[in-house]
Amino acid sequence: MNLVRSELLKIRSTSIWWILALIYLPLWGITLFFNYIQSDALVNGDLGEVPADQADTFDALKDPDALAANLFTNGQFFGLMMVMLLGIIVVTSEFFHQTVTTTFLTVPHRSAVMLAKLVAAAGLGVVFWLVTTAANLLSGAAVLGAIGVDARYTGAVWEAVGLNGLAYLLWAILGVGLGVLIRSQIGATVTGILLYLGGSIGAVILISTLAGRFGDWINNLQLLVPSLASSLMVSGTDDLPGNPPQWAGAAVLIGYALVAGVVGTLLVRKRDIS
Amino acid sequence: MSDGQRSPTDDGQIVVSGLTKQYRNVRAVDDLSFTVAPGRVTGFLGPNGAGKTTTLRMLLNLVTPTAGTATIGGHRYADLTDPLRHVGAVLEASSAHKGRTGINHLKVICAAAGLPKERAAEALALVGLTPAAKRKFKGYSLGMKQRLGIAAAMLGDPRVLILDEPANGLDPEGIRWMRGFLKNLAHEGRTVLVSSHLLSEMQLLADDVVIIAGGKLIRQGPVQEVMGSMTKGARVRVRTPQADQLTAALRGASATVDVDEQGTLLVDGVDAPAVGRAALAAGVELHELSTERPDLEGVFLELTAGKAGIR
Repeated sequence: MNLVRSELLKIRSTSIWWILALIYLPLWGITLFFNYIQSDALVNGDLGEVPADQADTFDALKDPDALAANLFTNGQFFGLMMVMLLGIIVVTSEFFHQTVTTTFLTVPHRSAVMLAKLVAAAGLGVVFWLVTTAANLLSGAAVLGAIGVDARYTGAVWEAVGLNGLAYLLWAILGVGLGVLIRSQIGATVTGILLYLGGSIGAVILISTLAGRFGDWINNLQLLVPSLASSLMVSGTDDLPGNPPQWAGAAVLIGYALVAGVVGTLLVRKRDIS
Repeated sequence: MSDGQRSPTDDGQIVVSGLTKQYRNVRAVDDLSFTVAPGRVTGFLGPNGAGKTTTLRMLLNLVTPTAGTATIGGHRYADLTDPLRHVGAVLEASSAHKGRTGINHLKVICAAAGLPKERAAEALALVGLTPAAKRKFKGYSLGMKQRLGIAAAMLGDPRVLILDEPANGLDPEGIRWMRGFLKNLAHEGRTVLVSSHLLSEMQLLADDVVIIAGGKLIRQGPVQEVMGSMTKGARVRVRTPQADQLTAALRGASATVDVDEQGTLLVDGVDAPAVGRAALAAGVELHELSTERPDLEGVFLELTAGKAGIR
């Protein structure tokens, strides 16, 4: 517990947390705006002739539960990236500023230090989620009112919000693992962003191209892309047509987080600090 | 901290035994053994690349030895339950987050070590950094960074202090402060191990020396003993307008006489009173007569000659 307190103080006593918050705020605003446009279009807009094979998808998205779930998890795409970056920095800043020597002198049990970092990062991820969700509940209700849909707080909606929290927690842990694997602050940050943004966009293009060629079953491979797995995990309605089940996304993401955390800890235990 | 918390076997002695570190191409430390006694300042000396820092890092469980052991008060560092209450270490001047204030740097350590956070302010006061407590680390001078490092090492009021090149970057005032500070700690009965390449400073500071080169032990012992064991004894400097006469007189008294570029006579084999008597007897006028003691630097260079260098 002392160690977690120390890790949290490390973050509080530097400017990184409010820098990330400052970057995140406008991104959150932009996604809220787009979600508003999209929700409005789905409910009130004239989408024209919807191809028959996509009609199911649109119907699923138009469901009030789905609309509410989407709005109450607003900002997820960038928010997850922010907590991943936070997780990365929790580790790499120790090497960047050479404080890792002091840290391991204070506590020679390196697994305990890594566990504290994982707990602290996960906790911060959850705090990030709590703040975002509080803002989303207010803004989401406003958006639903504006487009003429009654605000819904059903079990499915809360499930989406809860799974969103799990995603924040898991991405923070993934960040810590990535930070241990790539100790360079800049290297880890850039790799993380590329994997998160480029990886998901690239993978979507690749997978849909392959699916077009070899059949829909390829869509199941989306599961293996961490950012797609997490968006699958939190998509608040029952299975979107053509997509794998929600729990599978959760399983994959938890798997990645566990592997990153365990491999990272094992690496740190062995490493010479010089 | 009360002494009651320490086990009776924890006398604060450092024992390095057969310590070896093999890197891919270099044997940085090679079967090194020495002991460091409590209540004294021990200088850990060696040319650059001799393996000093690697040795200290193995002692502190930061680097895993290839072979051998290093214990502090009979325990490996990794086995100490509250390491900061036993051992304080200052390894790098730059080891704090640049955006963090000095006091917060110490509070982070206190939190991790389970020490009361009031210790942070106390340790800052101990090293005279209180006025800069709330300044960020990036605004610290090198000397202030060294002091902050020492403050961090003192947080747990440790029995054993280990410092790697603490005088680096200190101004003369800072060096004098450090000397007094460390001597005082040793006087209180603590073990103080200081690595340095500043030999003149070590001569003033250290009671014992451990000299290594090429990863191997060259000599260990009290400073006076190590210096006394040197082949060169005290040497007498004489300046006189009648150099030839005096040289002849001294050679008659079986002394060796060299002349340096300024024409000063450097006399080995007899002491200063003997030189004075010889001059008086020969009726030679003297302008200077002094004894040159071998300094630690000379001893160090003689001991490590041919063993230093890039490996």
